[in-house]
Amino acid sequence: MSAVGTVFRKELLDVLRDRRTLLFMLVIPTLSIPLMMWLTADLVTSFMEKMARKQVDVLVLNAEAAPDLVEELRQRSNPMGLALQLSRLLESRGLTEKDLSLVKGEDPRAFERLLTARGIDRDELMGEVRGLMGAQEFEPNVASLIGSAFPPNFRVVTELDKDLGDPRDPAQREAVLLQAVRTDRLGAAVLLPADARERLARGDTAELQVFYLDSSDRSTLAFKGLEGIFRSMGKRITAERLAERQLPPGLASPLKLKPTRLPGPGLLIKIMGQLLPYMILIFAFLGALYPAIDLGAGEKERGTLETLLVAPVSRLSLVLGKFLVVLLAALVSAVLATVSLGLSLQIGFLAELSLLSGGTFSFSFLEGAMALAMILPVSCIFSALLLALSIFAKSFKEGQSYAGPLQLVVIMPAFVSFLPGVELDWFMASMPVVNVSLALKEIFTGNLDQHWGHMGLIFLSTSVCAGLLLWAAAWWFRREQVLFRS
Amino acid sequence: MDASTPARVEVEGLSKVFRGPKHKQIKAVDDVSFTAHAGEIFGLLGANGAGKTTTLRVLSTMLSPTAGDARLCGFSVVRRPEEVRRRIGFLSTATSLYGRLTAREMVIYFGRLHGMAPAALEARRQELFELFGMQSFADVRCDKLSTGMKQKVSIVRSVLHDPEVMIFDEPTAGLDVLTSRTIVAFVQDCRARGKCVIFSTHIMDEVDQLCDRVGVIHAGRLLACEPLDALRARAPSRRVGDAFVALVESAGVQP
Ligand SMILES: Nc1ncnc2c1ncn2[C@@H]1O[C@H](COP(=O)(O)OP(=O)(O)O)[C@@H](O)[C@H]1O
Ligand SMILES: [Mg+2]
Repeated sequence: MSAVGTVFRKELLDVLRDRRTLLFMLVIPTLSIPLMMWLTADLVTSFMEKMARKQVDVLVLNAEAAPDLVEELRQRSNPMGLALQLSRLLESRGLTEKDLSLVKGEDPRAFERLLTARGIDRDELMGEVRGLMGAQEFEPNVASLIGSAFPPNFRVVTELDKDLGDPRDPAQREAVLLQAVRTDRLGAAVLLPADARERLARGDTAELQVFYLDSSDRSTLAFKGLEGIFRSMGKRITAERLAERQLPPGLASPLKLKPTRLPGPGLLIKIMGQLLPYMILIFAFLGALYPAIDLGAGEKERGTLETLLVAPVSRLSLVLGKFLVVLLAALVSAVLATVSLGLSLQIGFLAELSLLSGGTFSFSFLEGAMALAMILPVSCIFSALLLALSIFAKSFKEGQSYAGPLQLVVIMPAFVSFLPGVELDWFMASMPVVNVSLALKEIFTGNLDQHWGHMGLIFLSTSVCAGLLLWAAAWWFRREQVLFRS
Repeated sequence: MDASTPARVEVEGLSKVFRGPKHKQIKAVDDVSFTAHAGEIFGLLGANGAGKTTTLRVLSTMLSPTAGDARLCGFSVVRRPEEVRRRIGFLSTATSLYGRLTAREMVIYFGRLHGMAPAALEARRQELFELFGMQSFADVRCDKLSTGMKQKVSIVRSVLHDPEVMIFDEPTAGLDVLTSRTIVAFVQDCRARGKCVIFSTHIMDEVDQLCDRVGVIHAGRLLACEPLDALRARAPSRRVGDAFVALVESAGVQP
């Protein structure tokens, strides 16, 4: 057994001096997640900023039919005006600039606690903010509602460049508007009915026809903006009509949904439950990949295999020593990836997400230990498989070409954690690798206590599977046809 | 060779059959028997593909024989392979060094694999590094060493545990004249120390220069196994090369 230790120490030293292994074992698992997040977050925000900053023209046809409606549209679509109205609204509730900084702070609940402390009705405030911004109904909390909504930034125009044709003419209207949207001269167009004012005055509905092109992002954004603004304008008109007739304000909205989040694991936990198992499995595999190829096929390619085989150690000791190094690399890589993800949560794009979901991601010692108990045997499976393939291969290149398809075999079961509705039951618990992916998902979403039986089965079956594969790899390493392929 | 020196390598009816493509059987070694003693250099002479490497791989227990057996220092390669490996030093152009280890680490690693105690190993390493003038590059990574330096590390690696039997498989193949001479001198030194040396080659000059007894191998079969002078006597020119050609032609086996 001391021979195993000797082989292990030497192979570890050898592998740690290889830049490729270091890259795959240490650098990639540590950097890829923050980098990925930073890139996507950067792309998304820069896209949204571009969209927000760029003014989109909205054409109103028949504006003379209801000038005050057009004027209100103009006001509401002006982002500066909106920001002003928003801060006036908050000031009227005694909220200061400093209080608002909580909106961008770490804990969205702090803002809600502040509202409670000041005796401000959270739902009422939320309703008014929504009304101002024409935002969607389902916003998880006030902070994100205020902090996240981009006010639509468009300019209301009543004329279009003459060279395109006349949009007032029904015969050529759609062609002219399409041309204007396609050439980015217009985001969308609204056609007011000629009798708009009369209809509204007698308490009827005015149908506003909105023209837009759903293949264009700008046009869709303009449409969504108009939709929100007209919805809140509609609400204002309803409220006025009810007040005029001295009817209760709730008459036109008999049922109102009030989404209330339970204080359990939030959206972030769900995302982590999907993301973490996948990443852990992939990085365990990737971490094992290079050392495995290096310690098997690499020996053949560099001609050191025979040097090693004439040493008076059993082939079993050689396999075990090499296997342990590969396993260590897999574990280091998986753990680094997890830690790096955890740290990225504190800073990056996911930090905003955890703010939105109103929950933080953490796990107990028991959960961590159970996760490790799942990762360990599955890493053994990867290491034994990769090492066996690698010993068979005659060169680095050949080894990599075998590892490619194997990678798919790992990625697909790992991906199961992303599939909605796939639950950990006894059938799933008997599928190798898939079961570990699902077990990790349950552990990280806090459902460990409901799955002890499954966990036991998964740990045992994965360990047995790992043991068998290691045994097979050791047998494989004794075969001349494998070591001396011609 | 005089019979008073003990036999170290006893090969009896050794055969090795490989399964080639399409289940064709390749008889790489076919019923080979010979004996080599302490203090002699036994040459295994044969053309490329004759079966030298396969024979020596069986002797060093990297491959197991299809039939027959060989005993090294009394231990069977079939039944006691690890005991055999403890007692042999093996050197060929296929036994490379770990490029990312230094010369010192390389040697220490193999000393440990041989189960040498740390103090004894360090003393032995120092002795050998001094002997071969290797102190200056002891801590240089093997992939940064010149061919000659690498050969020295390989030599030290193979004799570290002071083996009774040294096996060389075409150790000079692809080496320049100077490095070859280091090897040749080392082989002679092994004999002087009373080791049993098995040396395979296809170069007639090396046989002339080194070997006490020669086994001529062709298509896996041992055509002759005799003292160098007896082999020379087979050709009127008394040259090894001519004797070799005469033997192969009279055997009439197709390679
Ligand atoms: N691992 C192997 N599998 C199949 N055939 C082999 C293998 N190793 C060697 N051979 C065949 O055995 C024969 C003897 O080869 P070898 O012992 O390498 O000869 P030599 O060392 O004298 O050049 C050759 O025909 C070679 O192709
Ligand atoms: Mg050969």
